[in-house]
Amino acid sequence: MLLPMAKVHIIGHKACLDQTLATLSELGVLQIENVGEERMPPLPAMALDADRLRQREEARFLLARVEALLSVLPAVDAGQAASPVLALDHDAIVAALRAELDTAEPEIQRLARQYDDLLHEQQSLPRYQAQLTRLLPLTPELTELEGYETVAMLLDRRYSDILGSFEAALAGLTQQQYVVVSTALDGDTTGALAVFPRAISAEVHQLLGHEQVTQVRLPPELSGMSFQRALSYIEKRLATVGGDQESIRLELQEAARRWRSGWINAAMLLRDKLAQLEVINWLGETERTFLLVGWVPKRALPALRDALREAVGESIIIEQVALGDEELKRAPVLMENPAVTRPFEFLIRLLSLPKYGTIDPTSLMALFMPLFFGMMLGDVAYGLLVVGLALWAERRFRHNANLRDLSRILGLGGAWAVLFGFIYGEFLGTLGPILGLHPLWKSREDPTALPSLLVLTIVLGACHVTLGLILGIWQARRQGHVHQLEERAGMLVGLIAICLLIAVAARQLPRGLITPAIAGLLVGVALLARAQWPSGLLMAPVEMLGVVGNVLSYLRIAAIGLSSVYLARVGNEMAGLVGNVWLGVIIAALFNALNLALGAFSPTIQALRLHYVEFFSKFYEEGGRPFSPFGGSSTTRYSTSQR
Amino acid sequence: MELGLLAIGAGLAIGLAAIGTGYAQGKIGAAGAGAITEKPELAGRILLLVAIPETMVILGFAVASMILLILSGGK
Repeated sequence: MLLPMAKVHIIGHKACLDQTLATLSELGVLQIENVGEERMPPLPAMALDADRLRQREEARFLLARVEALLSVLPAVDAGQAASPVLALDHDAIVAALRAELDTAEPEIQRLARQYDDLLHEQQSLPRYQAQLTRLLPLTPELTELEGYETVAMLLDRRYSDILGSFEAALAGLTQQQYVVVSTALDGDTTGALAVFPRAISAEVHQLLGHEQVTQVRLPPELSGMSFQRALSYIEKRLATVGGDQESIRLELQEAARRWRSGWINAAMLLRDKLAQLEVINWLGETERTFLLVGWVPKRALPALRDALREAVGESIIIEQVALGDEELKRAPVLMENPAVTRPFEFLIRLLSLPKYGTIDPTSLMALFMPLFFGMMLGDVAYGLLVVGLALWAERRFRHNANLRDLSRILGLGGAWAVLFGFIYGEFLGTLGPILGLHPLWKSREDPTALPSLLVLTIVLGACHVTLGLILGIWQARRQGHVHQLEERAGMLVGLIAICLLIAVAARQLPRGLITPAIAGLLVGVALLARAQWPSGLLMAPVEMLGVVGNVLSYLRIAAIGLSSVYLARVGNEMAGLVGNVWLGVIIAALFNALNLALGAFSPTIQALRLHYVEFFSKFYEEGGRPFSPFGGSSTTRYSTSQR
Repeated sequence: MELGLLAIGAGLAIGLAAIGTGYAQGKIGAAGAGAITEKPELAGRILLLVAIPETMVILGFAVASMILLILSGGK
């Protein structure tokens, strides 16, 4: 359900503002609105005074510093010890935190830089090592000469004739005081070394730049070394760099143990303070008072009054505003459902929140979606595997609310799949009868069961769509939307009439009902036409066909289920044909694994679609604004997850 | 012979509908993937749009079932 909301005006003396905002932040039950956007006599927006501006800038700067350091410090288990700064007021917190940061920041930054350098070394040295190893065969021909520079080059063999022109240019520059040696390193690459006087280094590098030759550039610490010495240096560094990293990691861990939990708490307090300072611009003001406009869940209103009175005293006024149509349209939406159906709120939010004052379909979705999933999968073994997988995923992703919710939804669907597995007599597709599992109703593998299966899904679809239309009619009546009421009533009457006609045609009902059924269909089309007049004259029959299409769409429950059964059957029969027990088991396992993966994914998407398209289109009004209470990260936010 | 033609008809009913659905879903899916890259919050709505053309293949399935069940007369 959607929680009823109350709109309040909170008026108080400016001297109480900080205390009021701190109390509201701690409570986390009030969504503050921007007074500038309210339809009320205009009040100037409150401006931050110099002291608050200073506090804001200081909090922003400190928060940036703390967050930068927290991003460097590794997560460690340092218990729940709160920082001593938590007991202080804001200015004292800021001063204590600044002192802590001034002490610890240079050392942590130094460690972080060193760690980054070592990481870079660990990644780059193997690349230099590979290049030098390839060029090493060239070096015996060279001697180390004082005042000479060596350049190593790698060339694509197709362009190795560049070396000739490079050598000619070098001869001109150095008056024959140079050496160039080259060799094929592999099928595609030629390696070359050039030794020339250091005095013409700039000209040679410019020349190499012109020829677009890839130079092997070594890091500064290797420059001037012979290749052999550079290689042995790299080997030594690679042997020790891991140990150096480990020692810095331990130092960072030590720093994290000392500072991290306290700084996390301090960062939360700073964020709260910043939120309190930044929201001030949304308040209205007179010379001596402030006005705060906000939304609060109705049942949390007494607690809000009590908390503010206790914190600020009687000098604050909390006035509940009467809600007109405009206010109701802007009311924020907060869903509240029992624990078992709460995971389905995620699927509602995936589409869009319902408007305030309309129906929250979470509970209905929690009933029908797993049912549809179970009808499609309908296999004892697959169902049990899905339940097991869901339980594992719920535990594995317990800190990720969305994945946890999805796991619970999958678990419920798996439970229904086990139940329908007994109804269809299915175990790993077609192995049910072999294992003595006989269908309680009909086996989907049996071709004679197909008509019953199709009828079952169509009847289920008709019931589901009818429920949606009834909800739509109730909602339209409650909101006084006459056109919507006529449209949905027309669809409902028409759908019932079409069902009657089909039942009569199938000789399940007496022929005498044909006349009232046709009359009902005409009434339904007429209501639809009237609701959308004048285009409804043409569109009403099309809309009525659309409703029939919606009902037929539920055939996918049978279709997806049948495809799953036949895929399992193909796998099991192929396994039986190969003649080798182990190969057969592997083939059967592969097919059943594929079937299970499809069986978990496809029914979820199809069940979701049946809700979003066929069911919700009859009553659901999307576009709700999520309730976003003012409240810091360190406080108890009024949200579903914490109730 | 007649049963064979009915089977071909049923195959065409679902096969052609599946091609139509696949074509539409391909177009919607490509556009949807681009939209989700820009606005991840549209994922639910895109999922809905991708699923809409599936009605075609479901109706194809309904027609194929009718051909096999009603027209073949249980042969």
